[in-house]
Amino acid sequence: MLEVINVSKVYDDGTRALNNVSFTVEDGEFLVLIGLSGSGKSTMLRCINRLIDPTEGRILYNGQDITNADPRELRQIRRQIGMVFQHFNLVKRSSVLRNVLSGRLGYTNTLSSVLGLWSAEDKQKAMENLRLVGIENKANNRADELSGGQQQRVGIARAMMQEPTLMLADEPVASLDPALADSVMRYFEKLNQERGTSVICSLHVLGLARRYATRIIALKAGEVVYNGDPDLIDDVRFREIYGDEAVEHSLR
Amino acid sequence: MSNPAALAALFSLILPGAGQIRSGHRSRGLIILVITLIIVGLVLWLNLSPASWLGLAVAWAANVWDAWLIAGGQRPKTALLALALALPIYVIGWQVTNIDLVRFFTSANRAAPVVRGLLRPDFFAREIDYGIAGNDFYLPCPAPADAESSAAPNGATVTISQNCGLPGETVQLTGQGFDPNQTLQLWWTNPVGAESRVRIFGEFEPFQVDENGGFQTEITVPNQRYEADNPRAHSLELRYIASQSSYQVTENARLVASRIGETIAQALMATFVGALLAMPFSLFGARNLMAGNPALKVLYYISRTVMNVLRSVEPLIMAIVFVVWVGLGPFAGVLALTMHTIAALGKLYSESIESIDVGPIEAIRATGANQFQIIAYGVLPQVIPPWIAFTVFRWDINVRMSTIIGFVGGGGIGFLLAQWIRLSEYRAAGAAIWAIAVVVIILDLISARVRERLI
Repeated sequence: MLEVINVSKVYDDGTRALNNVSFTVEDGEFLVLIGLSGSGKSTMLRCINRLIDPTEGRILYNGQDITNADPRELRQIRRQIGMVFQHFNLVKRSSVLRNVLSGRLGYTNTLSSVLGLWSAEDKQKAMENLRLVGIENKANNRADELSGGQQQRVGIARAMMQEPTLMLADEPVASLDPALADSVMRYFEKLNQERGTSVICSLHVLGLARRYATRIIALKAGEVVYNGDPDLIDDVRFREIYGDEAVEHSLR
Repeated sequence: MSNPAALAALFSLILPGAGQIRSGHRSRGLIILVITLIIVGLVLWLNLSPASWLGLAVAWAANVWDAWLIAGGQRPKTALLALALALPIYVIGWQVTNIDLVRFFTSANRAAPVVRGLLRPDFFAREIDYGIAGNDFYLPCPAPADAESSAAPNGATVTISQNCGLPGETVQLTGQGFDPNQTLQLWWTNPVGAESRVRIFGEFEPFQVDENGGFQTEITVPNQRYEADNPRAHSLELRYIASQSSYQVTENARLVASRIGETIAQALMATFVGALLAMPFSLFGARNLMAGNPALKVLYYISRTVMNVLRSVEPLIMAIVFVVWVGLGPFAGVLALTMHTIAALGKLYSESIESIDVGPIEAIRATGANQFQIIAYGVLPQVIPPWIAFTVFRWDINVRMSTIIGFVGGGGIGFLLAQWIRLSEYRAAGAAIWAIAVVVIILDLISARVRERLI
């Protein structure tokens, strides 16, 4: 269970990205964060694994305080939390396999991983995860030789190497062709349903959010303006979240 | 004068730009005035030939015409005006740089020995055994009774019209018994044993025996030192090729090979040491690594300044300093190249650190990796390939530079080349130049390949 308690984030330039945000995520939930760009979705996700340090508030994961964890504890928490990014964040010049293996770094000792000495078990696990996302034949290609959709699948395979109990996804389909969005989202759905991994995913297309979310949290100017059932977001709520000028487009 | 156009033209005729200023185009007029003043100043100061006065006249006329057009309300031809103003500047530039196209073409023949040397580089030569037919010649007269004449191995003999004389006298040479149509060289050996070739009609060219094996020619006794009351025996010899070996690598070619090796090694050492030292500099000089802490900022500026200063000093100039410091030879060259390499590579390295993609680092941090693992998996894979590419490219540049650095005493092939050029040994110089070209081309290809694969 993830508990976010009164979290605020003020950046050095004075921008208040999050303002007193609280919510909880039960195990096995598929939570989608929606909101306009700049509403604080990315900051919220990054506060959870402390890629960004929150200014105020506490975040607990399974009762353990993430916000006050020392570096060693933090690394141990991080390795249970996978993360997938909008721009994939692969090392473009490294091979697909090496990118996927890097997901295992939190579990390997420093010397052998720095020297690139991976156990046969880890390599096998990497190939397995690549097979799950359907690109095992690209293992030895350079990451930047792959298409956008394929790169995002490498990103998912890398996060799956952590055997996470919580998966964070920051706009995972925003830089993909809309036609590919569903195929990528389905991997998260599968992970959620077959392995019981909790998923927190930010999306800006409401249609996708409705289809995959078990619950939706909407952020506006750093504050939670909606927290509940995806199907209960009507026109009035939609305008509250996105502003009066917004019009919802169906995905297809 | 009520016509405003004519009045403005008159103003500009007296003072360039005045007409334009009067018509309200102040900056245009001022620019014309300043440019014209600069041209007049240059022409007077450099004391140039009438051609530049002509260029100035054209510019002046264009300015008057411009004033006329503007005051008359017509569209000014700014491009033409600019061309006219530029014309005297080109004329001055032409004269200052001593451009002389006539000399370029009429003196082309002076380049012939150099070009010939380049076309016949001294890589291979035959070893030649000469047959010699000779006569003693006494400077000055009289010759003793036992003056010698020797017959060549093939029985050829040479007779000489007089066996003593003074420099500048003309002597008849008659030969017989040579092989028909053989080529001969005429050599003069003085009493100390110094040999020199004798010119026939001012030419060095060997001369031919006729089809009967004989020849007749006249030569001028060369200008040799003598003592008036002490006649001494000089030797006048005719040499022909008795036998020659197959082509063999010459001494100069061996020298070129060893010095080219030295050059490549110089570049290698300079690149290696320079690259090693450039790494810390590049870390300190990378803005994204040094941000935040003010102490790091200071380090950043120091490192940047050192690199910029080092880079602005040409390695050739550094080599002059190091030649004085550690003496002539390859070590001075290595030091100069190393200094330059640190600066050049340091900048390139730090730029590639600065242009690093932070996304992968974020992603790897999110997996729970520690700092070492983040560097090994997120940073190094992004910077190592460009670093290698830059380093190989630098080696390539360093080889080119170390060929030149020898000219100021920094060792390597340039040292040899400079000597040979000064001694007018153009065939040997040709060999050196060919060797440099070949090595540079090969390295260029290799480094292009490596860069292609890495970037």
